[in-house]
This record gives sequence, C-alpha cells and structure tokens, in this order.
Amino acid sequence: MTSARATGIKVKRVAPNAADTPAASRRQADLPTGGPETDWLLGLLQAGDSFYPTGSYAHSFGLEGLVQQGVVRDRATLREFVLQSALPALRHTDLPLAAYVWRALETPDWERVGEISVLASALKTARESRAAAENIGRQRAELMAALHGHPLAQEYLTRAAAAAWPFSPAVSAALEGRVLGAPLPAVLAGITYAALAALLSAAMKLLRLGQNASQALLTEALSRAPALIAAAATPLDEIGWFNPWLDIAAARHESADSRMFIS
Amino acid sequence: MPEFSGHLSLRAAARAGGRTVLATQSFRAPYHLSKPYWDADTRTLLVQVVNPTAGILAGDRLESAIAVDTGAALLVTTPSASRIFKMRDGTAECRQHFTVADGGWLEVMPEPLVPHRGCRYRQFTTIEVTPGGALFFADQLVPGRVAHDEAWVWERLCLEIDVRLGGELVLRERLDQTGAELRAMAAFAGPGPNACFANAVLLAPETTAEAGWQAPLAALHGQGLWLGLSQLRRGGWSLKLIAPDGVRLRKGLRDVRTILAGAFRHLACDPRKL
Repeated sequence: MTSARATGIKVKRVAPNAADTPAASRRQADLPTGGPETDWLLGLLQAGDSFYPTGSYAHSFGLEGLVQQGVVRDRATLREFVLQSALPALRHTDLPLAAYVWRALETPDWERVGEISVLASALKTARESRAAAENIGRQRAELMAALHGHPLAQEYLTRAAAAAWPFSPAVSAALEGRVLGAPLPAVLAGITYAALAALLSAAMKLLRLGQNASQALLTEALSRAPALIAAAATPLDEIGWFNPWLDIAAARHESADSRMFIS
Repeated sequence: MPEFSGHLSLRAAARAGGRTVLATQSFRAPYHLSKPYWDADTRTLLVQVVNPTAGILAGDRLESAIAVDTGAALLVTTPSASRIFKMRDGTAECRQHFTVADGGWLEVMPEPLVPHRGCRYRQFTTIEVTPGGALFFADQLVPGRVAHDEAWVWERLCLEIDVRLGGELVLRERLDQTGAELRAMAAFAGPGPNACFANAVLLAPETTAEAGWQAPLAALHGQGLWLGLSQLRRGGWSLKLIAPDGVRLRKGLRDVRTILAGAFRHLACDPRKL
C-alpha cells in the first residue's frame, strides 16, 4: 500500500464511526467507484485511440488530394479546411447518421440500420472516400465483435453479410456505443474526436505542422463539438453535405502519380 | 404576382424503326414544351422545356416526371438559364423525377440555375434507372447575377439529388449551404468569387474502369477548371466541374460531352439545335 507520506497527499484522519456522518456520505458519493459508466468510457477511449487498429492511420480523408491541388498548404489553410469542411461534414453527415443508427439499434430496427448503411455509402461520391469508409467501418465492426463477443455486434455482422450492407465508420461507432452501453452524446463525441484526430494526424505528415500546432487546432475544433453534437437530430432526408472541391480532389487522388495515403 | 403549380409529364417511347416519339405528354404553366426534334444522326429526340415566365417566383410549385421506355432516346434541355427571383416571403419548390427503362437513354441538360438575391428555393431530383438503361444528367449552378455584382446572396438554396439503379440508392447529394458558406469555400479553394458548378451523373451499363474516355476527361482538369470523375457505388460515374465563370463551365461541359460522345453516341446530339 502506498503511504500518504510517500505520495505527498495529505490525508485527513477520521474517526472510525465518521463514515456514518452526512458529510462523509457525500464524500463517498464523489469517489470513483467503477462500474458501467467507467466501462463504456474506457471502451470509447480504447476505440478512439490511434493505437486501436481501424486502419484510419492510412487515410487522409481527402486532405492529401487537396494538398496536391495546392488548396491546403499550411497551418492557416488547414484551419480553413477543418472549419469549412471537416466540421460541417461531421455536423451534416456522420453525426446524424450515427445518431439514427444508435436509436435504431435500441429495438433493434435492422431494416433502418440497413437503410442507413446504404445511405452512408451513397453519400460518399468519390470511390476512394467510399472505399476508405467501407474499410474502416468493416475493421471497426469486426474488431468490436471479436473483442466484446456481444450478440448485437455478431447479429449486425451476420445481417450485413447476408444483405451486403456497406460498412460505415458512423454505423460501426453507433453499434460500438450500443455494445458498450454508452449514451448517444458520448458516442457522437467519440466520433468527432476520432475523425478530427485522424485528419490532423494525417496533416502532420503532409504539411509542415508541429505537434503543438496540430493540438491547438484540434482544441479549437473540439471546442465546437458540443454544438455539432446538439445539432445531430437532423431529419433523415436532410442528411448530406456538398463540398465539390473535396470530391474532385478525392477523385483525382485516385489516379495521382504519387501519394502517401490510400485516400 | 400569380403563383404557379406547374406540371410536366413526358413519356418517350420507341416506334417501329427505332425512332423515338413522345408517347404521352401533358404540361401546365409555367411549363411549356417546344416542338420535339428528331436528330437522325444521333437517333435522339430533342425536347426543350420552356418557362415562358420571367423565371421562378415565390409560391411556385413545379413538378415534372419524365420517363424513357425501352429503345427510346431523349434529350431534355432548356433554352435559357432558370432565374430564381428574390422572394419577399414564401418559397419556391421544384420536384423532378426521371426514369429510364432497360435499353432506354435519357440526357437531362438544362441551362444553369441562377439564384437571385434573397431567393428561397428547393429542388428535389430523383433518378431511377433500370439496369440496362442509361442516363447523363448535368445540373449547373452559377452563384447569381455576377454581371450585376450580385453573387452568393440567396437566402436559402437547397438542391438535392437521389439516384437509384435497380431500386438501390447509388448516390445522394445535398447542397444546402448558405451563399456565404459557399463563397468562403470558393475563395479558399481557388476558382474565385464567381465560381460555377456542374454536377453530372453518368449511368450506363457498359461503363467500366477500363473504358477509354476517362483519361481524356481527367485531362480537362487545369487552367482554372476543376474536374473530378469517380465511380459510383454501382453502374456509373459521378462527374463534377468547377469553373471560375459561366463561360469556362459551359466550355468544360461541352468538352465533356464531346469526349463522352465517342462512347455514347446520343451525346453527340447538339442541345442547341432548336
């Protein structure tokens, strides 16, 4: 046991019967006790970590194409891209898609899950972006099923294979949330973090961008996450986002002479 | 100002000898139809849909349904840009539905949309192609009346498109940005303050990744024109163009049609023939 002397933490000595006092009860309630809440939090932290093998490290999500076109050149233009494109894309596509699937999985309504899986794929105009989403979504769903052995994840994989549903990171993240027992806002926060962190991680390889600068940009982008998450209740027929520059850059990246990332 | 509840319904069918005719047609103002023209060289029936009013006004509700039967080939165009005028109150809405049967060909090539200051407009396009059918659809958007120094100042502009092949959704796109948002993107990405867009879809059974037209199309990219070509989930291609102005966009689309006409002969039909 670590002594108070060794840790330097001052511990107030209490009488043996002091635990019965109201003040002590309040202190006990504040203590982390573990259990379901920390379980889902730990699960989301694990799934959102770059150490988690979803394959997203191999993708730039269209950024390399925009760098090749000379649109994103430095920290300032990267910031413009994040604010004008990456955040709105999350707001108008990934987060609402995940929210629909998370709700559909409560029953679960598999028909709706299949419908949204197809929609998520159809929203990706460029083949390379679609393939990237498909691969990351598949890896994430299969890994989750393997790690947790949850019947919901197993049934999703069975149904996806039978009906040839396209995989999607948003759908897999929602499924992950259900398997872990995570509330919807936490799932959406996890998606937001993972998407932005992966993008900025790719940016560090493509641009002259240091760790502190990328973290500063990540902090700025994440400060807008609560508003994005609150707006995720978009009607299904209003899901979608238009960025022809990104689509064209992604399309041209497919046949680029040289490239660092798959997408 | 009168509000229109416009209606247009066309069905193109193939007659003996393979000539395409309009088997059924009905329309109500503000829609009007030109006399169809049979282009024998490309074996395509050319139809111009005319809006004889000044343009689209608040309260207008426009619905169109155009179907192409097996063996028929139809090109639908418009003679001039569709202006969407300023709306003091209310909105305008257009719902257009295109269907192509197995062995049919449909090209939809309207002139650009021109959203004026303070307009509120919503356009829903649904395309359903039966496997074996073919379609080229191109929608153009200019940012406003750029000659009057009025651009990106619509109040609400929502353009949606759903494309289904054999009943399965293969593409969904939705433009619902404010003018300020798109202007900022245009300024950031390069084509400048008057950037114009064309969004095209090619669905055709014979399209493959190895076809010879992709490289010439991709080579059009440059000198101010952005062009991207990518395969859809199934059965076709998405083609996007961004140009610094309407003239360059028009030339880009013309070049695209010329290249594609080598593989799809109906695209050699001149939309300006009437």
